[in-house]
Amino acid sequence: MIENFLDPEFFSSIARLTTPILLAALGGLICHRAGVFNIALEGFILLGAFMAVLGSYLGDSAFWGALSAILGGIFLAIVFSEFHLRRRGDPIVVSIAINLLGLGLSTYLLRSIFDVSGVFSHPNIHKLATINWPLLDSFWLLDLIFNDQSILFYIAILSTIAFHYFLKYHKIGLWIRVAGENQEALRSSGSNPVQVKFFALLICGIFCGLAGAQLSISNVGLFVENMSAGRGWIAVVVVLLCAGRPIPLFFLIILFGVVDSLSLRIQGLGLPQQITEMMPYIVSILVLVFVSFRRFRFSSKTHL
Amino acid sequence: MHVSLRGITVDFGNLRAVDKVSLEANAGEIHAVVGENGAGKSTIMSVLYGSNTDFSGKILCNGKKVSWSSPKDAIKAGIGMVHQHFMLVGNLTVLENIALGNESINQFGFIKFNTIRANILGIVSRYKIHIDLDELVDNLSVAQRQIVEIIKLLYRESMVLILDEPTAVLTPNERAIFFQSLKNFKAENKTIILITHKIDEVMDIADHVTVLRNGKLISSSQLEITNKEKISQEIVGEEIPRLNIKRGAYESKKILDVKDLIIKTNFTTKQAINFSINTGEIIGIAGVSGNGQTELVETLIGIRRASNGEINLLDKNVINANTQTRRMMGISFVPQDRQRDGLALGASVWENACITKVNDKKFSWGSFLRKKNMKAFSRSLIQEFNIKVNGPDALVRTMSGGNMQKLVVARELSSQCPLIIVENPTWGIDIGSIAFIHQKIMDIKSAGVAILLVSNELDEITSLSDGAFVMYEGTLSKRISKGKNFRELIGRHMLSGFNTYYSPTGSSPNE
Repeated sequence: MIENFLDPEFFSSIARLTTPILLAALGGLICHRAGVFNIALEGFILLGAFMAVLGSYLGDSAFWGALSAILGGIFLAIVFSEFHLRRRGDPIVVSIAINLLGLGLSTYLLRSIFDVSGVFSHPNIHKLATINWPLLDSFWLLDLIFNDQSILFYIAILSTIAFHYFLKYHKIGLWIRVAGENQEALRSSGSNPVQVKFFALLICGIFCGLAGAQLSISNVGLFVENMSAGRGWIAVVVVLLCAGRPIPLFFLIILFGVVDSLSLRIQGLGLPQQITEMMPYIVSILVLVFVSFRRFRFSSKTHL
Repeated sequence: MHVSLRGITVDFGNLRAVDKVSLEANAGEIHAVVGENGAGKSTIMSVLYGSNTDFSGKILCNGKKVSWSSPKDAIKAGIGMVHQHFMLVGNLTVLENIALGNESINQFGFIKFNTIRANILGIVSRYKIHIDLDELVDNLSVAQRQIVEIIKLLYRESMVLILDEPTAVLTPNERAIFFQSLKNFKAENKTIILITHKIDEVMDIADHVTVLRNGKLISSSQLEITNKEKISQEIVGEEIPRLNIKRGAYESKKILDVKDLIIKTNFTTKQAINFSINTGEIIGIAGVSGNGQTELVETLIGIRRASNGEINLLDKNVINANTQTRRMMGISFVPQDRQRDGLALGASVWENACITKVNDKKFSWGSFLRKKNMKAFSRSLIQEFNIKVNGPDALVRTMSGGNMQKLVVARELSSQCPLIIVENPTWGIDIGSIAFIHQKIMDIKSAGVAILLVSNELDEITSLSDGAFVMYEGTLSKRISKGKNFRELIGRHMLSGFNTYYSPTGSSPNE
């Protein structure tokens, strides 16, 4: 029975399930730390996914796919900045607008450019390269998890570590943290919080664009309407859960991926799909309750 | 560095905040800028610091005309400022806070924290400052945060230090240490501009004093050729009314009786608290802020649960009652943080004035509000308390700090409760409003209301209260009665903690 669960596909699917969420969450994390309440990750990813397919198809290579996905993310980041940072729009309203825009724009472009609705797949869509590390071949588990994944998987892992050090020790990382905590302090130290937040949004656009590319041109090579399917929201939740810290974020997403992957298997045991699909969310909520319970217990404030 | 501001004028919309003010500060001089809230002190300093660039007039540094487009330029030119509300980031370490804005970085943009740390340690040891560079600012006391702000300026090698109300948060002891370091900076030929509204401090430490009132320059002179009375008059523009104390007729009885109360604090000692207040009595709770006063007040009004004990209000134990019940039973409360706990800033004056009275038949009709009566009531409060605002419909956010506080005090004092708890009622407001609020407190005392006055201002406690306790690390001292040495006794308790003050065989300080 245990073999049913721990088959090779189980381990290799973890990376597949988690990479897009990790990439998007890294983008959301930078925004969170910079004090930009960006819950438009879903829209960012979706446009990124479409742009990846478009770029890959037109440019005849996965590189152009990834690049155009990034441009898609940056485009929405600039829209977000224009309405939130420059015109002082409420970030929730702007986020909702962008989520709708991401869905509408990708669907509209799909129909007007490719003249299809629902799904677009074409042999001309090039998939992202995968990497094989011969060194890992002889280690069963490491081979399954780390070999033959899309290049974005490795970028995501390296970025997690890079983000950790960037936020902690880099000048702009420090500015981002200050922008999120006390922007007056940043202004009085001579930097412009709006510029710092704009920078954070650009990073977010880039990473969400890559998350979209990972969805549409890594394993499948096709675009489906609304294919982000809530991953942007999961990324938002994970960022909030780990209070914007990259390392806990990474492990939380792995946990999420493991449970998600498990739930697919539990379905095989005959549990209703509706129940198994809940599992990742239930685990997230349990973690949230556990974390806040601990925080409550150890907090010095005893307000009611 | 010699700085001079020439004919500075700043307009905020139609309001002229600063009107052709000139000011000269020399190197090696402590230059005090005094005036009430809204006199334009902070505004003119924001011009010098580059955070306000919309002004007319000239800034000269060492005789050369300069202009800033942001604080960055001013900082580069050697001007540093400690704001009244500290510009620190709580979730960052001391080291990170000091590095912010003056990061020395390697070619990849990463901050060279080791170099910065070594530099700061040099400064810290030169001025004999004790601070842990790896502590989060959130965990520091207010005095320590101020030290961090000052190290920030020293680290940037500022030659002009602008300090906005630096002593508002310090204990007498900390203030003495702080003034000593100011003298050290002065000896190193730095220019120190001290913004304050405490005249005693000016007399203690300044070399030169500039008085502003309503945005205009009133006087600027060496300290030797002026005096305290003259400065006070120039600040207020008229004589400050003296406290008028009269005795009303009321039956004397016990209003509040706190027995064996154990409050939940972070302090290790959990000593029971006992005290009582009678009609027409003001009991002061003195102490350095953060010694459990806020927790005590929260317990009394029912925001914080007590571990044990009794709170008897008019002979009824209210320990298990919630805040609303306690208010209905006769406790009214002026919280210390008017902006956070006292008022809804985005709501109107009339809404704020009546928020505690919605159950009153006069102000509600079933669950509907009687807006007309509420507004009329607010108008009467505005008049009685001389609150400067454009009528009851104005938003509270648009009022000055002193007027906000008057509104809170007006609301709570008009409740006609037998007990009123006031916590730091004059924190951060101008001299005129302070005198007014003190007079109002004395008026309700003479009407027989029992008053618990929790304050960090020693002068406030000594001038108003009939008896006082000192709170230290969550415990209450013995009652100190009004009389000779009242002030000295309270002061000594505040500084040393009474446990060390009372020797086992020693005598009570009341004797």
